[in-house]
Order: sequence, then C-alpha cells, then structure tokens
Amino acid sequence: MNIENYKDVISACRFCFMCRHLATIGNVSFKESDTPRGRALIADKVLKDKQHLKNQDYIDCFYRAELSAASRKHCVSSLKLTFLVRAMREDIVDAGLEPEKVKKIAEALRQSGNPFGATEAGIKEKGTKGKPALLYYIDAYTLYKEPKIAESFMAILEKAGLEFSVLKEIESSGKAFSCMGYRKEAAAAAAKTLSAIRKTGCTTLVTSCPASFDAFKNDYQKQGAALDGIEILHSSQFIAELFKNKKLKAAGKTVKISYIDSDYLKNYNSITEAPRKALEAAGFELVEFGSNTEESYAMGEGSVVYDQVNPELLPKLKGRLLEKSNPGQEIVSASPYTKYAFNSTPGSTLKMRSLEEAIAGRIS
Amino acid sequence: MQTSRDNYVFEMIRSELSWALGDEYVQSGDADKLGHSIDYYWVPELWHDRGEKLPGPDFIVHPGTAQEVSEVLKIANKHKIPVTPWGGGSGSQGGALPIYGGIALDTKRMDKIIEIDPLSMSVTVETGINTQHLEWEIEKAGYSTMHFPASIACATLGGFIAHRGTGVLSTKYGKIEDMIMSMEIVTPTGEIINTLPVPRHASGPDLAQLFLGSEGTLGVVTKATMKIHPIPECRKFHAFLFKTMHEAMAAGAKIMTSRLHPCVIRLYDEAETAKLIKRVLGIDKQGAYLVFGFDGPEGIVDLEMKYACAICSEQNPEDLGTEMGQTWWDHRYKFFYPPYMFHMPQAFGTLDTVATFANIENVYWAMKKTVTENFPQATFIGHFSHWYEWGCMLYARFIIDEPPKDSREAIALYNKIWDMAIRAAIKEGGVINEHHGVGLKLGRIMKDLYGPAFKVLSEIKETLDPNNIMNPGKMGFKGV
Repeated sequence: MNIENYKDVISACRFCFMCRHLATIGNVSFKESDTPRGRALIADKVLKDKQHLKNQDYIDCFYRAELSAASRKHCVSSLKLTFLVRAMREDIVDAGLEPEKVKKIAEALRQSGNPFGATEAGIKEKGTKGKPALLYYIDAYTLYKEPKIAESFMAILEKAGLEFSVLKEIESSGKAFSCMGYRKEAAAAAAKTLSAIRKTGCTTLVTSCPASFDAFKNDYQKQGAALDGIEILHSSQFIAELFKNKKLKAAGKTVKISYIDSDYLKNYNSITEAPRKALEAAGFELVEFGSNTEESYAMGEGSVVYDQVNPELLPKLKGRLLEKSNPGQEIVSASPYTKYAFNSTPGSTLKMRSLEEAIAGRIS
Repeated sequence: MQTSRDNYVFEMIRSELSWALGDEYVQSGDADKLGHSIDYYWVPELWHDRGEKLPGPDFIVHPGTAQEVSEVLKIANKHKIPVTPWGGGSGSQGGALPIYGGIALDTKRMDKIIEIDPLSMSVTVETGINTQHLEWEIEKAGYSTMHFPASIACATLGGFIAHRGTGVLSTKYGKIEDMIMSMEIVTPTGEIINTLPVPRHASGPDLAQLFLGSEGTLGVVTKATMKIHPIPECRKFHAFLFKTMHEAMAAGAKIMTSRLHPCVIRLYDEAETAKLIKRVLGIDKQGAYLVFGFDGPEGIVDLEMKYACAICSEQNPEDLGTEMGQTWWDHRYKFFYPPYMFHMPQAFGTLDTVATFANIENVYWAMKKTVTENFPQATFIGHFSHWYEWGCMLYARFIIDEPPKDSREAIALYNKIWDMAIRAAIKEGGVINEHHGVGLKLGRIMKDLYGPAFKVLSEIKETLDPNNIMNPGKMGFKGV
C-alpha cells in the first residue's frame, strides 16, 4: 500500500493534537475525522487491516481533506500528513473504491483536460509569435473560469515591454489527477505537459496558478518529468521582480487591501514575501488578513479541484473567511482557484480580486 | 446503553436528535466514532495501537447553542442515555471518553466570541472555541487571555473549565478557575442557568466554583466570561543551573515567599534536565535547570528580575543568563510535539501533584522512591511547573520503554504504578492533581483523596443528575 511509505507520519500524528487549530475543514465541519489526528487514526486502522480501506465513511473523510498543508507548516517536525492523504487516495483509487463524484471529475480531466468538461476558453489571445524565452502557462481555472487573470497578467507583461508566448492547460498538467489519487494519469499528464513546454523553447516559465507552479517545481521531478534548465516562477514573484527592476511603476493613491496566502505558495513553497512585495510596489497598503498567519483561507486550494469534489463545504469555508475578514476591506488572492471558489460561492456581495487584476489596474 | 444500530430505538433516538439539531449535526459514522473513542489518555492509545476494539459513542452531536444542548440533554434523560461532553478531546485522563456509549456531545460548534469588554477587561465567549483561536482574536483586539497551556492549540475553553486547566503563565495570571468570571451552564436536566456576573461576592457559596472542574458530570458549560489582560510592555526570562534540585527548589520557593510576582517559574530535576532540556533545548548540562520570567512595565520587570537573580545567586548556581531562559520560552510547546513527546510503544503517565513548599520535596522523593524501587523498568523524571505563594505543582512522569506485550498486563502494570505513586504522594500531603483533572484514570482515587467529603460530592451529583446521564463513571462517580 502507498500509505506504508508514511508509517512515520501515521505513528506520530495519530495521537498528536498539536496542529488541530489549523485543521481547515475541521474548523468548519467540527468533525474529529476532519483533523490531522482523525485522518491519521483512520490511516492507522487501514494499515493494520486493509479491509478498512473499503469503509465508505473513511473514504469520504479522505476526500474531504483540503490538503492545505497548514498543519505541516506548523509542525515542528514538518510531518507530511498531506502526502499521507494523497497516498491514501492513491490506495483508494488503486482499489477502484473512489467515490463516483471523483470518478466523474477524473473522466472529465481525461476527456477535456479540465475538471469542468469545458471545451471553449473565453480568453483573448495574446503573446508573441516565435520562440521567446518567457512562457506564460494558463491553468484550467484561469482559462475557463477566470480569464481576466490571464488578461491582466499579459497586460502587465506588455506594459513591461516583454515578449512572451502562451501555453494553455488544454490537457491537464496532472496536478488535479495527483491530488485525487490518480498517480499514473498524473505522471502521463506531466510527461505530456513537459513536452509541450519544451517545444516552446522557453527558459522562464511563469504561471498564475500556485498549484501548477508547485507541480512544475516539485511534482514533475518525482514523476520523471523534471523541467531542468527552466526557471519556474509564480506570477507574483515575476511581477515583484519587474517592479524591483523598475520595468513597472505604480500609479494612483495608496489603497488598503488584505492579501490571502495561497496554500501552495506559503505552505508548500514558503513563498509569502513576493506577493506582498508585488502588491506594495503597486501602491497597496497591506492590512494583515484575519488574526494569524497560519490558518488557511484558500478555500481548499490544496486539493486543486476541491470545489468540484466537495461543493457542499464551500459555503462553510467562505463563511469562515468572511468571519475573519475586516469589514469593507478588499481581499486579494494569488490563486485563480481561490478567487473562483470564493466568488462563485453564494453568501456575500464581497468579491475577491486576483493579484494580477489588482496590480494591472495600478501601473503606469 | 450501547445502542445497537440494528435496534429500532437507535433510529428513533437519531430522529429526535436530528429534529433538535438538524441532520448535519448528528453523526454516527465510523470515522467520527473512531475520533471520539480516543483522547490523550494512554490506555485508549494502547488499545488502538494493539488493534483492539474501543468503546465509542453511538451518536456524535454538534449543538450550536445552549438551547440545543438543553434539547439533547432532555432527549438523553427521556431515554436514559449517557452524554459525554467532548471539547478538543486532548485531555489526558480519559474524561471525555464515552465509555458507556450513548451521545458524545461535541461542543466545538459553539465557538463564537460574543463580546470583548475593554472597560472591564473581559471577553464573553462560547466555550467550544479553540483556545488558540480565542487568544489570536483577543490579541488582534490588543489584549491577551494570558492562558498559554501546552494544549492551547488542541483544547477548547470548555475543556479547560471542565478540568480546571492551567497555562504556562499561571503563577502570575492564575489557573482557569481564577480567570473565569461567570458562566452559562446547561444542567443535566436541561435547565439553562447562569452563575453570578462577578467572581467575588458574599452571596452564598460560589456556584461557579462548583461547576469549574466538574468534568461534564454536572452539566455542560456553554458560555463563559473570562478576564483579559493588556499586552505587557516586556517579558524577560533568566535561567540558572543548580547543583541539586533541592537548592533550586529553595531558590524558587524563596522567590515566591518573598512575594515577587514572576509570571512563570519552572524547575527541572536532574534527570529531566539531562533528558529533555538537552534534547529539546540543546542545553547539555548536569544539574537542575531553573527558568523564570517576569512581565509588565519594563522598570518593574527589571527590578523584580534583579531581586529574583539575587535570591538564586545565594545557592551559587551556574548563571545561564537571559538567552537560555528565552530559549525555553521560545520552545515551550516543542516538548509536546513528535518526536519529543513520549509515544507508543512506550508507557508513560504524568503524576501531576500539588503540595505546599513544606511537603513538595517529600512528595517528589516519595513518588520517585515508589516508582524506581517497585518498577525498575520505569524511568522517573519531573519538573515543577506552577508556583503559588504557598507551594507548587510537581509534573512527575514515569516512562517504560517496553511495556508488556499483552494489553491487559500492560494496563495492570500502568494502573499499579499510578495506584502506588499517588497513594505515596497523598501520604506526604500531596493532592492529585493540579491541572489535568480526574477523569476515568483517577476516579478510583477520589475516595482516598477526599475521605468522607466525597459523599458530599456524590450527593450533589445525584441531586443535579437524577438519571446519571452526564459523563457517568468519571471522577469516581458511579457508572451505568
């Protein structure tokens, strides 16, 4: 079983409560099974007796996990509970026991390359012909749900006078597959995406999607598809550098906003400064969101397609976020998924903007 | 009652609970039953580790208000079903284990801050709130609860109220029973009552203190008003290494009896200094490590620090300075994370005891002698955590690296250590215990501890809970 690779995590987390305050789903469902300890206890039962893998209640619990990695970031031993959850999902998939809703999303990914089964992207084509060194990768959520993010980023690139080409996630990058437990499909998708990236001849790859960024940066190498020789950046890092190198200048009065950290940027890649620096350089005054910097408010970003797998939990996640927000304060996210999940979930008139949209409107 | 899922009554009760709370907040799935069948008590951990079946709840309910708690308790009374309140589930005494099945009443949905009163410096809050979440919100408002237990991230405020919990800064800011000003309580029969709005009065006995520490046996505390404090201008620490624990104890006691006001004093015996202070803090020294801190206006802090250091210097210890004191503060919770915390397959327990300065060292030596002479396979370590004007708390621990393979045999050995060590402590004037509570683990000791006074406690329980639905079998009260 794949979870056997995480015996150390199971052994340590099954009786440990020290990160339960950061249980993103547990904080809104109030269930013990939605805490790191609760999940590790179940994994331990399965490890002791494989028959427990068939327990539908246990399976549902593992697909409710949001993989924010807030707990791992907090843990003094950095125990990889998120990887244990993924390994458990792989075991569930290997046994053909994944929930029907997960099977349907996987099938949509196979057929259309995106979890929505969408075929038409509403994005305006931009980019330079030929083989520029800079490649902008547009993920499925940006492509099909939040095209303004890509349009804003490309407008920023044009303002900075940069040549670039574009690669769209017409075929899955593999991140959604890997988070749902489809290991083989994830590896195949990584190989295909790697080939498409190589064909562009780029030396710098930028994406607005933190999950795609994490896939390129961390997953691909493990899947045998390393992007050697290509610098991989999140759009916030790239924009921060443009400001630093004086290729962009801010215009207009200082405006207060709150920035919400991305799980994949903060918890998986320790990137917290670049988005803040980019926003500050664009003339925003940052008001720290909520009461702490540890809790995840990314609406389930870690599970990549969480809105598709657990739509019933999104109002609760949004409720938590609204509860912690400063009244009247605009919120900005560096994650297309988070923006889409927040704005498409009913419950408030407050709209979240992407970092790219916020900055594009403030540069001269 | 262990309600069978195949029983018609099971579905009838589920329907009643669902009607009161909504379907979403009544669970009976295996995943949650597992989570509610193990707390931080060593015995259920052992049973789980050995693959044995654990007793668990039939239903897990998540009421959102005191009224909903009341509805649940009325249903439970009607059907005479046990109700076990559950907050964070991080208690070490088995107090939240639903040992007779029935309903696990999970309080975490009641997690709202109702009001911060800056004039009276208090917060009114629902008791299901996670204490780290509470502290974060209070800090955002510019204050602090000053409640910093190792379990701050795990436990709910209600959990601390239930077993009279404490935090690292208790020496200055008090235990939870000193911090709580008033409470809303749902009694076992479902009445919603409030204690008086202030904690000091001459209007009869203090009802609040009756419920503080009642571990869910006398009802469910649903709301509390708690003191809050200004963020201190500074907090400073200093550490010393004494040649012996006795010398360090003399210094610590003198700091307290001189009526200085440290926010914390912690003294580690030689064994724990060698084992844990080295491993967690990287301070590799032989002797007894003592750390203390003061907080408040800097001028006062510096002055008190000067006096405290002078008291310590009388014993001629090694001065470890402020840095090695600050290191302890910065890593104060690290002791409880894996791999630093004791873990399976080890057997381990915290022999939490409190006594006067006149008795505390005798208690320590009596327990140590009992454990080491009767159980040579056990290691005994200890530190003194929470200090008062009259005495302090001993956080003694025993650890067995390889307990018996047979679960029953292992538990029998474990219980025997407790039985002998605790009775040795009581004989020397020790009280079991200071802040972990009684729960299932120490219920059998309550009669020894209280003597004839335990009858009074039992009769209060019987009067308030005529059907014995509230957390039966805990705190030495009768089971089902």
